[in-house]
Amino acid sequence: MATQDDDTLTGSVPDPDTEPAPAELAHARRFAELVDKTLSGRTPPAMSADDRALLEAATVIRATHGSVELAPSKQRQVVEDALRQAIGAPAPSRGAAVPIARARARRWVPWIVAGTSTLVAAAAVAMLWLRGPAGTGHAGPVARRAEVPPEWTSRPADSLVGPIARDHAGDASARIDAIFADRLDGFRARRLARGGKP
Amino acid sequence: MASEPATTVELELEQEQRLVEEAQQGNLDAMRPILERYAGPLYGTVILPRLGDAASAEEVLRDTLATAVEKIRRFTWQGKSIYPWLRQIAINKVYDVHRQSKRSRRLADAMVHEIDVETDPASHADAQLIADQERRAHRERIDETLQQLQDRYRTAIELRLVQELPREDCARRLGVTIGTFDVLLFRAVRAFRKHFGEHAERAEPPRTGDT
Repeated sequence: MATQDDDTLTGSVPDPDTEPAPAELAHARRFAELVDKTLSGRTPPAMSADDRALLEAATVIRATHGSVELAPSKQRQVVEDALRQAIGAPAPSRGAAVPIARARARRWVPWIVAGTSTLVAAAAVAMLWLRGPAGTGHAGPVARRAEVPPEWTSRPADSLVGPIARDHAGDASARIDAIFADRLDGFRARRLARGGKP
Repeated sequence: MASEPATTVELELEQEQRLVEEAQQGNLDAMRPILERYAGPLYGTVILPRLGDAASAEEVLRDTLATAVEKIRRFTWQGKSIYPWLRQIAINKVYDVHRQSKRSRRLADAMVHEIDVETDPASHADAQLIADQERRAHRERIDETLQQLQDRYRTAIELRLVQELPREDCARRLGVTIGTFDVLLFRAVRAFRKHFGEHAERAEPPRTGDT
């Protein structure tokens, strides 16, 4: 006698020898495939509520007989997640679990950076304040400038050109030539002082 | 007695107590070895057999361990393992899951009620002993239900779900086609589920602890 599989969870279960209806046959095959996938660790996320309920019963039987265990890597991840959840640290964006000690350390990183920056800034201000009254802050550059020959430095060209009379206003190229020749002398002197190296 | 060498259980308890005290003083990372030690038994003998769904069981385990870390200051050391306390948190979490899903409540109630009666957390110091006893109690309950099924249904479940033989082998052993074996297993699990939940309607499961 064929049965109609219209109430999987609450309906009566036929005897083993009862001929299945096509609907029950199809449902049984679908359930068998779900069991196959579950046994190989690939339980599909989506299934009917009835199938899920039956699969849960099947898993209860398997778990009770010790066939289902949490993989060590999964276990470690769950422990890390739980610790992280408990201390309120954000979850890592992807991949493996971050040890909780590192997660906790991360919470202090912004404070450490801010503290260090403040200390460095305070030290810099203190150093400037302490060095300022001594008047040594400007002595270095001035002294160094005094040691350099005048022809090596940037300087006005007034001494070369002198006052420009109105009738010589058009001789700009002669004035530029004079300045160029003077600067070229300085360049040569500097170069020769270094043994001809640039 | 004091001169006798400490047993492994005593040493483990001593270490556990030290870690718990450290955690209660604020070093929550001290809970890690405890959680790593008991995550397996909680999953395999407490949570999964009551839920039947691996993904949900993982979620509940995670919540259980997180709650334990958050509430460790409330735990009072009484010379026994912390495991019964963890177990009770897990059972309460499992029951919460089933309360939200009335579909599977009968199945859950059967396990929650039965095992709470079987194992009194206060009567054992050794977590392993409690886990073993709980596993045994689960198994007796399952076997008792299997005995109520017709022979061919029981055999189908034993071959496919306990021994985990391939469908082809199961069908060959029963002398039927694979299609017929699929129907047998389908009906067998339906029958198991019906029988397994029947005890639950007699009593509400006890819910204890402040977790």
